[in-house]
Amino acid sequence: MQQLQYACPTTLDECLLLMKEAGAEAMPYAGGTDVMIHLRDRAACVQNIRLLVDLGKLEPLRGIRLENGMIHLGAMTTHAEAAHSDLLHEHAPFLAAAAATVGSQQIRNTGTIGGNVCNGSPAADTASPLTALYAEAVVQSAGSTRRVPVPELYGRNGITLTPGELVMEFVFPSFAGWHTAFLKLGRRKALAISRMNVAAALELQNDGTISGARIAPGCVFRSPDRVREAEEHLIGKAPSRALFAEAGLLSSEEMIRRTGVRWSTEYKKPVLEALVERALLQTAGLPLEET
Amino acid sequence: MMTKIDFTVNGERVQIEISARARLVDVLRETLGLTGTKEGCGVGECGACTVIVNGKAVCSCITLAAGLNGADVTTIEGVSKNGELDEIQQAILDHHALQCGFCTPGIVMSAKALLDANPNPTTQQIQEAIAGNLCRCTGYQQVIDAIADAAERRMTEE
Repeated sequence: MQQLQYACPTTLDECLLLMKEAGAEAMPYAGGTDVMIHLRDRAACVQNIRLLVDLGKLEPLRGIRLENGMIHLGAMTTHAEAAHSDLLHEHAPFLAAAAATVGSQQIRNTGTIGGNVCNGSPAADTASPLTALYAEAVVQSAGSTRRVPVPELYGRNGITLTPGELVMEFVFPSFAGWHTAFLKLGRRKALAISRMNVAAALELQNDGTISGARIAPGCVFRSPDRVREAEEHLIGKAPSRALFAEAGLLSSEEMIRRTGVRWSTEYKKPVLEALVERALLQTAGLPLEET
Repeated sequence: MMTKIDFTVNGERVQIEISARARLVDVLRETLGLTGTKEGCGVGECGACTVIVNGKAVCSCITLAAGLNGADVTTIEGVSKNGELDEIQQAILDHHALQCGFCTPGIVMSAKALLDANPNPTTQQIQEAIAGNLCRCTGYQQVIDAIADAAERRMTEE
């Protein structure tokens, strides 16, 4: 491995210039909870890195704000900040809930939402609610800006950013008034990576019928995505256990259609069906257990 | 490649040259001789290396030291006052909340970060605060009791 250098730019222009010059040899450093482990393991993804670009002093990447009905979530927002954000609790409660399930207090204090997504793991907890929210990543490089829907950040071999590009923030519409839930299945309660998770959101009319639905499972498809057929199935109907079980079934059928039958399918199919059903029950305020 | 850092450790200003890739746990233990902080897993899962940076508990094994310019770091060596154990340390002794003791510095730091921010935590908040600190000998009940007791002692002393 080459000698590693460290830079801590204090302005965005300086940061983007550094990243442009170093190209593929630059690694942005957010919370470090993944990068530090890659460095320790001398992992393939850091073999050719010669410059760590610390994003810690870049103000434009921080904070959560509401602007014209859209939430702007800075990429350097830590999981702890997101979990305790009053704005997120009002406008995207399941994103705050997902952030609260990541790692431990120590990890949530350092790890960032931008890092969670840009590490490129399909098991990223915050990617599921971001997908359900139709969140777009604002991707900046020296001289250009583009907006990428979160699922499209995930390519076949990790994240699709090109050298010199940086995720600045995530932008999504306010879901105030929607009912949301995030459910995660891990091997234990704390410090577990998702084996599977589901982010669900429902918009209910005054007469109780469903007028909007989002179902985004994590660790199910190659990259985070919604299950449109299951979402559409719910529209115009009243919440019920039977209806949500059907949505679960449609979700597992979609999983098999996209990923084929694998050794794990026998396990994943009933688990996904149950998680989707339970996430929707929780979202609609119905009891999780049959009475 | 070396880089300079200027930060505060246990109330004292420290200016040193370190490797750009150095981890905080190594700077504390090897460069500054503060061996109270333990390295367990090295990947941020066990919490033995927990220290407090700017008021928040973090794993020093996955914290880049170069990024700590201007930071305020507290380690287990900075917890006692004037040679006296602080309330958390004393409560851990009184409740027999340690056996081998390897995880204890990390648990004390997680508990301190919690109580400094939230002087009167619920049992669930205590459990969440130490969920990232693994102990393989004691079990957690005595630790939770000790932290709850320390919170009470802190409040009566004020």
